[in-house]
Amino acid sequence: MPRGLLRVFANLGWTVYVVAIVTWLLFPLSLILLSSFQGTISITTDVSNLNVSAYEAIPDRYWNSLWFTVQISVVATVTALLVSVPAAWAMVRGKLAERRFLSNVVLLPDVVPHIILGIALLTLYLQIGLARTWLGMLLAMLSLSLAMGLRFTEALLEGLPEEYELAAETMGANKLQALVLILMPLMAPGLATAALFIFISNMVTFELLFFISGPNASPIAVRLFSDIIDRGIMPHSVAMASIMIYISIAFYVIVALTLGPKYLAGSTVSRKG
Amino acid sequence: MSPEQARPVRLANLHKRFGGFVALENLSLDIEAGEFLTFLGPSGCGKTTTLKIVAGLLTQESGEIYFGERRIDTLPPSRRNIGLVFQNYALFPHMTVRENIAFGLRMRRWPAARQAERVEEMLALVRLQGMGNRKPEQLSGGQQQRVAVARALAFSPDLVLLDEPLSNLDAKLREEVRLDLRNIQRQSHQTTVFVTHDQIEALVMSDRIVLMNSGRIEQIGSPQMLYDEPATEFAARFVGANNLVPARLEVVNGEAAARTGSDVHVRLNTVVPGLADGADIWMCVRPENIHIITGEGSSDGSGATVLDMIFQGTTVLVDLESDGLGSLRAEVPARHVAGIAAGQRVGLTFAAAHAVPRS
Ligand SMILES: Nc1ncnc2c1ncn2[C@@H]1O[C@H](COP(=O)(O)OP(=O)(O)OP(=O)(O)O)[C@@H](O)[C@H]1O
Ligand SMILES: [Mg+2]
Repeated sequence: MPRGLLRVFANLGWTVYVVAIVTWLLFPLSLILLSSFQGTISITTDVSNLNVSAYEAIPDRYWNSLWFTVQISVVATVTALLVSVPAAWAMVRGKLAERRFLSNVVLLPDVVPHIILGIALLTLYLQIGLARTWLGMLLAMLSLSLAMGLRFTEALLEGLPEEYELAAETMGANKLQALVLILMPLMAPGLATAALFIFISNMVTFELLFFISGPNASPIAVRLFSDIIDRGIMPHSVAMASIMIYISIAFYVIVALTLGPKYLAGSTVSRKG
Repeated sequence: MSPEQARPVRLANLHKRFGGFVALENLSLDIEAGEFLTFLGPSGCGKTTTLKIVAGLLTQESGEIYFGERRIDTLPPSRRNIGLVFQNYALFPHMTVRENIAFGLRMRRWPAARQAERVEEMLALVRLQGMGNRKPEQLSGGQQQRVAVARALAFSPDLVLLDEPLSNLDAKLREEVRLDLRNIQRQSHQTTVFVTHDQIEALVMSDRIVLMNSGRIEQIGSPQMLYDEPATEFAARFVGANNLVPARLEVVNGEAAARTGSDVHVRLNTVVPGLADGADIWMCVRPENIHIITGEGSSDGSGATVLDMIFQGTTVLVDLESDGLGSLRAEVPARHVAGIAAGQRVGLTFAAAHAVPRS
């Protein structure tokens, strides 16, 4: 077979492969989005009667839960990154002897099923009065955010040569100035990307929060789950799920527009000279 | 900084270990104000380690560093007033050229107007006028290198340290920037320590060369001194090409000569001080100091057979098997090789020979 033809087939093969993966990834999402505009929960491809009745039917308790979730997700994300940067700096640059140990401890929350962690937290929270409270939910979410934040910032700093800080120091900058004037701006794109991923994962945190949530402190994922268990899937549940997709996409677009698309290509790309 | 203000720099007994490995062994050195000093030595001999200790990025086990009378090794890097140029330049990628150069001034809280004035001065010095608003990534390697130099000079440091700043450049650019850097230093009279493992670079640029080997100083001297009168076997082999022949020193009526095992006798022009009659020596002859004589009645030195000839452009390398001195390499101007061919018998004379101790 001539080489040109071979290349055409190879390209075709790759195209089919990529399209298949993308379809596989997006198929369920598009189904949800489509059915949210059909006002029913039956899965059809009928597009003749699109409407927003499902969105209008979303009850107030859903909106409250969504607002609650956005709030604690944002606070947990920001707090986690603020705490992670100095901690990662100490771990990476300070050449802490405990470094290895710490890096691995950070992985531990992920080796236990979150639902088990949730039960453990409930036992603790019941004793100290944090169960079913805003603060209790935030602290629980923060533990997951911190684990992610530390991993992100550690990787970011690893990818950033120490010479930049050292150069700043030899020119008269103290450690704080080096951190604020050199490190933070260089890490900013990576931190924004990290914030995006942490925020989105916070928005859908479910298992950890399931047991410790209550009527006044109920993240949207838990709320949806409980409602579906109680009454089955309602069109407005699907509409709410769609809204979560919109929020994630909006957040992604904002970060992408601010940074330019190349920083989002890899999740923890750092900025080098 | 004018040369009057500049202060000499003194390194006293610097000692550094990494675990059990001794990286610097009681290194002492006086650097004169305004001089261009080069640390030359093979990879791993401790050049970077020394620079880092002087800049405060690494701590020594013992020893002191002085600027004039003032001891500075107790200060943090930010208070030593040293300009450091890293091998990869480490220009801040998120700042413009201008902001990079102004960084040290900003840290010293210079008024904005003076900062701007100084930055322009530095841009002119390194011939980058009009490029102040570019980002480092918009500059070529040679331009980045000059920004790094300007940034290190801008705040009038007491000492500028350059760690192999040319090693990232291609050969042709390296030659250009080499002379540039030398000229910039001549204009600024900035006390400068330059690190390289490239001996040509060291010979071309330096007022003095510090030749290092395994954490110790092997020899200190002018480029000419290091080239013509190396003090040790290491120096003789490391700086420039050389032929080393084992021999014994003979001193007769104040005249020094080398006598080899096969009883060939060569007059020595220079001998490392302290060598006495009968001492074991290496006779060192530079390739360009070996003259090849063809034709009859020509041999006041020894005879040799031509093994191979390597054309290099302006010169030709001639590999020889000499009758009493083993294999030698001569470097002959290309226009003088007519009549020499591989396999031929020739006579040799030595224009200059030098002796270093042999242990
Ligand atoms: N952090 C370290 N830990 C252990 N050994 C080190 C460390 N830094 C340097 N060394 C060792 O100290 C010696 C001197 O290193 P140094 O970096 O000063 O060499 P150099 O002269 O700059 O060489 P090069 O020309 O390759 O840059 C080397 O043998 C090196 O392996
Ligand atoms: Mg080095």
